[in-house]
Amino acid sequence: MSMIGISHLTRDFGGGKGVFDLSLEIEKGEAFGFLGPNGAGKTTTIRHLMGFIRAQGGTCSIGGRDCWKDADTIQKTLGYIPGEIAFFEEMSGNAYLAFLRSYRGMKDEGRTSELLERFELQAGVRIKKMSKGMKQKLGIVAAFMHDPDTLILDEPTSGLDPLMQNRFVELVREEKARGKTILLSSHMFEEVERTCDRIGMIRGGRLAALDSAQALRARHVKTYVVTLASEQEARAFAEDFGGRWPLEDARQVEVTARQSLEEIFMHYYGGGPSC
Amino acid sequence: MLNAALYKKEFFGSLRLLAVFGAILTLYITMIIRMYDPEMAQALAQFEQLMPELMSAVGMTGVNDSLMDFMISYLYGMLLLVFPMVYTILRANALVAKYVDRGSMALLLASPVRRTTVALTQLSVLVTGITALTAYCTLLEMVTAHICFPGELAVGQLLRLNGGLWCLQLCIGGFCFLCSCLFGDARYSAALGAGVPCLMYVLQMLANMGGKLEGFRYATVFTLFQPQRLAQGNWRAGLYALVLLTAAVLLFAAAAAVFRRRDLHI
Repeated sequence: MSMIGISHLTRDFGGGKGVFDLSLEIEKGEAFGFLGPNGAGKTTTIRHLMGFIRAQGGTCSIGGRDCWKDADTIQKTLGYIPGEIAFFEEMSGNAYLAFLRSYRGMKDEGRTSELLERFELQAGVRIKKMSKGMKQKLGIVAAFMHDPDTLILDEPTSGLDPLMQNRFVELVREEKARGKTILLSSHMFEEVERTCDRIGMIRGGRLAALDSAQALRARHVKTYVVTLASEQEARAFAEDFGGRWPLEDARQVEVTARQSLEEIFMHYYGGGPSC
Repeated sequence: MLNAALYKKEFFGSLRLLAVFGAILTLYITMIIRMYDPEMAQALAQFEQLMPELMSAVGMTGVNDSLMDFMISYLYGMLLLVFPMVYTILRANALVAKYVDRGSMALLLASPVRRTTVALTQLSVLVTGITALTAYCTLLEMVTAHICFPGELAVGQLLRLNGGLWCLQLCIGGFCFLCSCLFGDARYSAALGAGVPCLMYVLQMLANMGGKLEGFRYATVFTLFQPQRLAQGNWRAGLYALVLLTAAVLLFAAAAAVFRRRDLHI
């Protein structure tokens, strides 16, 4: 039985906006990448999963429970990072985490300190004074501190620098290895490619493609082997272009080129602007 | 049914506003009770003769023989109606609509807490504030009256009167809270939640002026709060207060039901 099930989900906001007849199954222990341009319906789908809005047609379930009727039960073992986090600005980060723990009925600190250390977040500052990146880190800590079984992450790395993005990717991989089910929404191919087993692409509220990350990578990440005049040149080339070196022949460097998201979308949606 | 952590957070979040309104009411209550003295009453009676419409609009009419009458005329016509009402409007809007509008409601609902629990907790914070404000006024009136005019104020009358006032403020609070739960945009919640009670107060003022305008009293909830009669122990005024309380409870229930069922685009 799948952990997250979306079946014929329909929600029409009019003017072509919304989600239309969307069906998805995410297995327990799977990391699923939910990819699409802005306004494609990612967040709307997630709001249904969170029980914030009621489906006009179709159903959503997590762990076999209905996302609308049993929202509070589902939330016991769910971690969520909203796409745009709006905190209680007047609180300090630590006060917010403490509030959330007692609000959730947590008896202890959970993973709070470990996560704060991991993301190098000094959370004693008032949230109002925090930078975008700090707020995002706080959102991550809040979503993971109660060690949930299911994670719904809506553009979780926005505002993070590359170092912290890497730490986040590590965290997601670890959680996946621990058997957690993960839905990661993003408009960045790299982010989902690095963490997810399968990737679903959504546009105009409809599922446009569903493929394993591996197949997508094979199709959209091109690898070249470049042979240079000398070993030194090969080494310098590898350093400058981030290639793999040395290969069997020390004058050769392997470089990869990723298609941009636009190009991938073009491929799947067949021409026209991606949005 | 209630979430202690949320109640605590919101209760402390209410304190600053409560302190502000408490201070304003302290100023007026002590000032006006101290003003009670036969000569001053004459001066005010002269005002009443000079501009009867204005004075009656704000409820400052009638024979001011006893301290109670004096207080009813000068405190319960406007000050004790309007200031707690403004507190209620501000707080009701902030407790739900503002969070939905800004999106921070998502943080509260992404937790194993029922929507009904969230709504009822926020509501109980509002009721606590209204109750605290009314109780504070009652206490302050008793203390001030006791210090300035020992033995002049009938405590039983005051308690009946303020019991009625509490019911009125709860009813207004219920309406504001319902508006707060109803709209995803804090502007609409504020417009309706503040607009309707203010309009009703204006209608009350017009109705007080008498004459043809008196018909307006059927269009305002303030008609059900009758200070003079409550103080006298009139059973009908007590019944009206009960009607206000019942309406408040119904509005509370409606607000919680609306919040539980509605879509939240947060």
